[in-house]
Amino acid sequence: MTLLGQTLTVAGKDLRIEMRGRYALGAVLPFAGTLLITFGLSLGPGRTLLQQTAPGLLWLAVLFASILAFRQAFQAEAEDGALEGLLLAPIDKAAVFLGKAAAVALELLVIEAVVVTIVTAMFGLSLGDAPLVLAGAFVLGTIGLAAVGSLFGVLAESPRAREAVFPLLVLPLTTPVLVAGVKATELAATGRGGEAGSWLSLLVAFDLVVLGVGTLVFGHLLED
Amino acid sequence: MAPPAVRLSGVTRVFGVAPALIRADLSVERGEVLLVRGPNGAGKSTLLRVIGTALSPTYGSGSVLGFDLVTGREEIRRRVELLAHRTRLYEDLTAKENLRFTSALYGLDAGRIDPVLRDVGLADAAGERVRGYSHGMRQRVAVARALLRSPELLLLDEPYAGLDEEGKDVVDRVILAARAEGRTVVLATHDPSRGTAATRTAFMDGGRLLPDLRAAGVR
Repeated sequence: MTLLGQTLTVAGKDLRIEMRGRYALGAVLPFAGTLLITFGLSLGPGRTLLQQTAPGLLWLAVLFASILAFRQAFQAEAEDGALEGLLLAPIDKAAVFLGKAAAVALELLVIEAVVVTIVTAMFGLSLGDAPLVLAGAFVLGTIGLAAVGSLFGVLAESPRAREAVFPLLVLPLTTPVLVAGVKATELAATGRGGEAGSWLSLLVAFDLVVLGVGTLVFGHLLED
Repeated sequence: MAPPAVRLSGVTRVFGVAPALIRADLSVERGEVLLVRGPNGAGKSTLLRVIGTALSPTYGSGSVLGFDLVTGREEIRRRVELLAHRTRLYEDLTAKENLRFTSALYGLDAGRIDPVLRDVGLADAAGERVRGYSHGMRQRVAVARALLRSPELLLLDEPYAGLDEEGKDVVDRVILAARAEGRTVVLATHDPSRGTAATRTAFMDGGRLLPDLRAAGVR
């Protein structure tokens, strides 16, 4: 089986588990919704302030949601030692990295669609000026978040590591995604989508680096 | 002449500072059924996990089916099935889906999934999520996975744990079938009533493989 086939097999398995249990969506969507409503209430009714802070709040919600989604994704591997089954399978271990990243990226995109809808309704975030820039920022940012989470999720197989170590590893590394995502979203929302090229380029570069590094080193991280 | 199924030379495995396997020397010929006995903490599981490449040796060298334990581990993994304490199943998938996933990863014939599930007595529960299974049922799925793969070397670590008599008989049938087909089995068990298909017995204590099993008074 090719690397692509192996990747799709791993991703398909993860998505099937998520669809069966709805663990990530069930935990993440209420969390993201609560976060945004709380921020909206604390910022008050001033529409300008809400619109200015909306891109940052949106990406913060996505970032925290991604942490929860990854904890769920790797919990399924840890429950009965299933990750060892992937280690012992005669497949390219990069397929495990790419497959898990692909599955979580798809889950996050679904979550983002809901979160963006909430933010648009609550904060009056404009989507009409540069929808492609906005979509590009979210797709590229999501790929970057998913790749970082997949790379480090394997280190957090034990429950204690998942709770304590995983966010410490992942949050600092996702800063470029957060910064570029917020800036590109802000530009798109304020009718300056044409100026977002450099931020989108940063997201592309980040994705390529993390996907490249992950593909190369994931097998070594998985080994004893 | 084909190299032995297992050859270990001075293999030591250390966890932190605690050695779980100490200078193990072992040779298992192809077609042998080796029974490994010993008390809790003797190092049986570590021995099987090192042979199955789930753990790498801290010191020493060895080969499995002619492939080096470290440099040839991918080749070893294609040919070896390790049935361990943890059954490595996905709880939110059914038994059938778990085996379908295994079959996709190993490039196996998915048409054999139903027959092997019947063989282990799980035909009726095959469509239920593993989360609702008892430990014995999970163990049967793991045995079904081993049957599906028909590996050249089968490593069984306490395969009878949690199984009823019927389930234990299923495991014994798997061992006998492997032996009849000339495949190699290494079996670690506490259960004194099982392992009768073994062609040789090894004894472990304190992380060491005793050199002569008969000298230890064990069959």
